[in-house]
Parts: sequence; structure tokens; C-alpha cells
Amino acid sequence: MNSVGEACTELKREYDQCFNRWFAEKFLKGENDGDPCGQLFKRYQLCVQKAIKEKDIPIEGVEFMGPSKGKTENSS
Amino acid sequence: HPWETVTTAAMQKYPNPMNPSVVGVDVLDRHVDSSGKLHSHRLLSTEWGIPSIVKSLIGTCRTKTYVQEHSVVDPVRKTMELKSSNISFTNLVSVDERLVYKPHPQEPDKTILTQEAIISVKGVSLSSYLEGLMANTISSNANKGREALEWVINRLNAEIEEFTASARGTMRNSMAAAAFVEK
Repeated sequence: MNSVGEACTELKREYDQCFNRWFAEKFLKGENDGDPCGQLFKRYQLCVQKAIKEKDIPIEGVEFMGPSKGKTENSS
Repeated sequence: HPWETVTTAAMQKYPNPMNPSVVGVDVLDRHVDSSGKLHSHRLLSTEWGIPSIVKSLIGTCRTKTYVQEHSVVDPVRKTMELKSSNISFTNLVSVDERLVYKPHPQEPDKTILTQEAIISVKGVSLSSYLEGLMANTISSNANKGREALEWVINRLNAEIEEFTASARGTMRNSMAAAAFVEK
């Protein structure tokens, strides 16, 4: 499966492989000791953000954040 | 199929032969919230096979429609919820879909999917022939969605079998080599 940005497809594949393995083998089994794909995700994200800006895709309400675990909300 | 299998397949749903118009999938954001649920925001790019003469008139960058998808997977309560809505440059018709996958309450080896769709034209809900037409398409798409996941599950199982078979083959070879050495 390709990425919206043609240049990002390889980065996407590497990240997808890492994520799919972690998801099936760890996350669904209740073992959530951190996401091992953080670095791959960051590199892939930077590429995708650039592609979306270049293609002018109107995405609303999505903040581009990294895969941080257990984010605390500021508003009560 | 059990909920874990269906959820894993749903995360890897594309590409599959039942949804040939989906040409790109990207993860915009993904994080685990404080209650242990995995949130993913994805962007799906779809291409509807517009005739090339139309493409050359309106310019190829405008022939893709995009779908924004937010999914939440709760591994403790075993639910997966998917909400998607289409983003398009014209914003004329919008389709919002909500899917929830849960284990079957009586049969743990099965998964139940509930699906709903809201179709709006310029912010007003349709209640006409067009709505009926799209509703039919959406319910046949729901079946297609189930077929698509079946296909992905079979593909994943085939990959596992292939991997196991090659591992077995390797083990057999090394066992034969060890037997030879012993003699």
C-alpha cells in the first residue's frame, strides 16, 4: 500500500511492519511496555506532513504528534 | 473469527481486492491514551477511476478523494471503534461512517460488527431517492468490508504458514546434517 506522498512509501512500509508486529504480539495481549516504533514513526511522519502540505489536503482537527504514551490532558 | 484476529486484520485492511479504489493509507497520528486505548488517525486516499479526459480537464491532483479515519482499540474491554468521514475538495456530499467490532457475547470465536452511516449533502441530511441509492451501496459495501477482512485474514494466515513451513524445512535440514555427522 502506498503513501499519500510517493517519497514516503518506503518509510511507511518500515513503520507499518514494526507497528503491525507490536500491535498483534504485544498490544492486543495487554503488554504495553512502550511503543518500539517511535523513531520510525517520527521519520515517516515528517515525510507525510510535508506531502500533505504540498498537496494542500484539507485535514481538520488533527494535531501532528509523535506516538507518546499516556499523554496527560491539561483541561480538567 | 475471534476479535483479536479481526482487529489485527482491520489495521492492515488495505490493499485488498474488494476495495480497489483505495490507493494510499497514511497514519497521521497514533498514541496510547492514559486508559491504555490505542488511538490512530489515518488518511486514506481513494481514486475512483475518473475517465482520463476528465482528469486532463480538471487536473490530476483533484481526482483523489480523501477519507479521514479515527480508530480506538481497547485491548482490555475488547472493542475497536472506527469513525471515518470523507474529505473532498467540493464538500458537496459527506459520508460519515461508524464501525464497532466486539467479541460475540455467546461465541468467543466470533466477532460482531455494527455499522452505521450518515449521508449529508451540504450539511443537510438526505431523505430521498439518492439517499436510498447510497444506503444500498453502503450496505453492500458493509458485506464487501467483511469479505475484505476475510481476505486479509487468509493472507495473514498464509504468511504464517509459509514462515512455519520454511522454519520446519530449515530444522529438518539441520537435523539431517546432525544425524550424518553422528554416523
